Amino acid sequence: MFGFIVQRLWQAAIVVFAMSALVFTGVYAVGNPIDVLISPDATQDIRAAVIAQYGLDQPLWRQYFAFVGRVFEGDFGRSLVYNMPVSELILSRLPATLELTLAAVIFASLVGIPIGMYAGYKPYSPVSRAIMAISILGFSVPTFWFGLMLIMVFAVQFGIMPAGGRGETVSLFGIEFSFLTIDGLQHLVLPALNLALFKFSLMIRLARAGTRELMLSDTVKFARAAGLSEFTVLSRHVLRLISIPLVTVFGLELGSTLAFAVVTETIFSWPGLGKLIIDSITSLDRPVMVAYLMLVALLFIVINLVVDLTYALLDPRLRKGRA
Amino acid sequence: MTDTQPHATTAPLLDVTNLATWFPTGRGEIKAVDGVSFSLAPGEVLGLVGESGSGKSITGFSIIGLIDEPGRIVEGSVKLEGRELIGLPAHELRAIRGKTISMVFQDPMMTLNPVLSIGTQIRLALEAHESITAAQARERAIKALAQVRISDPERKVDFFPHQFSGGMRQRVAIAIALLHRPKLIICDEPTTALDVSIQAEILAEMKELVAELGTALIWISHDLAIVSSIADRVAVMKTGRIVEIGPALGVLTRPQHDYTRALLDALPSRAKPGQLLLRASGIADAAPPPRKAATANLPPLGSPYLVIDEAVKRFEKPAGIMRRLAIKSGIAQPVTSVQAVDGVSLVLKRGEVLGLVGESGSGKSTLGRMAAGITVPSAGTVRLNGQPVMSAGRSPTKITTRVQTIFQDPFASLNGRMRIGDIVAEGPLAHRLVTRSEARGYVADWLAAVGLDPAFANRFPHQFSGGQRQRIAIARALAMQPDVVVCDEPVASLDVSIQAQIINLLIRLRSELDLSLIFISHDLSVVRHLCDRVAIMYRGRIVEEGEAGALYADPQHDYTKRLLAAVPVLPMAAE
Repeated sequence: MFGFIVQRLWQAAIVVFAMSALVFTGVYAVGNPIDVLISPDATQDIRAAVIAQYGLDQPLWRQYFAFVGRVFEGDFGRSLVYNMPVSELILSRLPATLELTLAAVIFASLVGIPIGMYAGYKPYSPVSRAIMAISILGFSVPTFWFGLMLIMVFAVQFGIMPAGGRGETVSLFGIEFSFLTIDGLQHLVLPALNLALFKFSLMIRLARAGTRELMLSDTVKFARAAGLSEFTVLSRHVLRLISIPLVTVFGLELGSTLAFAVVTETIFSWPGLGKLIIDSITSLDRPVMVAYLMLVALLFIVINLVVDLTYALLDPRLRKGRA
Repeated sequence: MTDTQPHATTAPLLDVTNLATWFPTGRGEIKAVDGVSFSLAPGEVLGLVGESGSGKSITGFSIIGLIDEPGRIVEGSVKLEGRELIGLPAHELRAIRGKTISMVFQDPMMTLNPVLSIGTQIRLALEAHESITAAQARERAIKALAQVRISDPERKVDFFPHQFSGGMRQRVAIAIALLHRPKLIICDEPTTALDVSIQAEILAEMKELVAELGTALIWISHDLAIVSSIADRVAVMKTGRIVEIGPALGVLTRPQHDYTRALLDALPSRAKPGQLLLRASGIADAAPPPRKAATANLPPLGSPYLVIDEAVKRFEKPAGIMRRLAIKSGIAQPVTSVQAVDGVSLVLKRGEVLGLVGESGSGKSTLGRMAAGITVPSAGTVRLNGQPVMSAGRSPTKITTRVQTIFQDPFASLNGRMRIGDIVAEGPLAHRLVTRSEARGYVADWLAAVGLDPAFANRFPHQFSGGQRQRIAIARALAMQPDVVVCDEPVASLDVSIQAQIINLLIRLRSELDLSLIFISHDLSVVRHLCDRVAIMYRGRIVEEGEAGALYADPQHDYTKRLLAAVPVLPMAAE
């Protein structure tokens, strides 16, 4: 197991390194931030001075290695727009996104999996058919539209939910969280629901497909023949057996939601990473873009590692080094 | 078997009358069980025999109330100690399942949950019928494992199914079935997936346990010999009905019904070796197959033809870069390898049938694959008529078409998206044995040769039964004009009557085409029937080799003796 983790970390290092090179080159190709930074009527001298100040007159490879050198010292550079260290900027936004996506993905799993298992357990009942219809809808409805509908109905029509923002936050271990206050929770519900919709539908379909297949398996027949109740069969046997694909998708979805919750964050003015990256792309804030994309790569690697370790936890056949 | 008389007078434990279970399909109802009646005395063992699709398993599932949707019990009654089970609400049925009636399934690989420990699975089965603490459950689990002769149960209780062998897993399944001391256990082909010697052990243990606990058994099987060794009474099923029922000895030695007789006649163990087996339904034997002009330099019949010399096959996991570095510098252990075939030398004479017998994991299939040029030997050579079967170099490929293979599973070995004609013609076309314009006629000839209608060439594999598919696989192999055919368990997945057809086909084709066969099997009676010489494989080596008759009559090696002793034997009528 230890060797496995070392191997994975080694792979992770290579991926992060490759990612940094790719992102750096890609961002370099997008455009010159100087055009955004300085007013068009600045003199040529000022232009040259600013360019030299940010090291933009150097060839690409030299800029890249200078960047890598600074990263090893923990310095991702300063945001051109906010004029603060990028690491600080990202860390200040990360908790909001983390909170929102975790709420969404956990809700989607906790509700979606049991519902999906029910639909797989009784595939022909009207309730199951309704569940499947809803899940199809969940796949096909665009996120932005569903978000706007949520705001229209719950915030505008009934006025029971706030339309945007993060609400009151409480500081825990020096990080601001909103799920600990009533107001914060109220602000969290709609964006989390909006973000959860797609994942919710996905979990339903996965859980249903797995359950349907397993209900016909000899394992379930044998468990029933031993007199186990249907609930025990589902909760102890089936859930464990379908959990591996579910965990895989959970991990992938968690990663992509963390990285790309842009639409929901924009609609609900949620001050998370998604809004930050959109803003920095429009203003060509290079250091933020590079650092953000590297963070995303790292997130995916960590999540995948955790998923792989969870496999070993869930399936004894994957545990090595046991008699 | 003499104790059947007293049972007749006691009140029956189970009384099944006119049971009918139907499965609706798009084209009407399939009557899987169609009016089955029998009764079972306490402690009695009933063998339920039939071929696949005869409804024997569905009968078992109907009794225990586990018919998969959309199947349903249409009529009839199942009375357990006088209490009607059909129509009972789900929770009352559940209270009976596992407690009064329990069930053991065919494949212990599929029945136990791979992600739960044995102890947990036993605890769940215990909790289904009594409230019990975790410590008590563990203690009971250990006792249950000890009862089915699993050594070191205190440690094994925490094992997961994959850490057990097939026989051990089936013992665990039996332990779970016995937990609540049921009055009846339904065993659905419980030893079919196991090796002969393991099967013999399980049979013996089951007999003992049943006698000791007074449990009644319904033993469902396709294998008459196994049933005869355990059952007091035997019921023979065909297309959803019981055609004959009576004391085991009587049914198996003096069968009254034609179908029972046909089943018995299809068994190779009851025929003279080498003779065609009797078959119930006569499929017309086909025209003699077309033989392409063979290459001139074939050695005479009986001279060494396919020579395997010191063949070794090791399977090892490929090591990554880091791992290899670590091994080189002595930090890590070298990758463990499995020696599947461990220095085997074997000579197949031209025109003979060589049986290769062994249990699963003995390396017999790997040896066959090396002989057929599918697997590359790690060391040693395989030569056909003096020429290597595979090319030299880093990644060797097969360079002869004169060795062909027939695989075990005709469902997996035929490409489901290709038409039969294309499947058979593919190889001959690729190797220019026939031109594209001749292919149609060539395929038709071969299909006829294996007893299939040449018009089938336009159909797809899924439209055929297992036996028909195996014929197609044989036609495909023979259409390549081989001299040597490696048959890897070609009849293992087939019903007895289909098995008899395929064996007859092989006997006939072999004599008509002067084929040499390597016949890999775990079934000793089939091997005895078909093979001239037999080689017994055990743990990657050949432990004994000789003329079939001599080897069966006077085995020398301990392993061969054990193997032969483990084969269940049918009682023979005194003539």
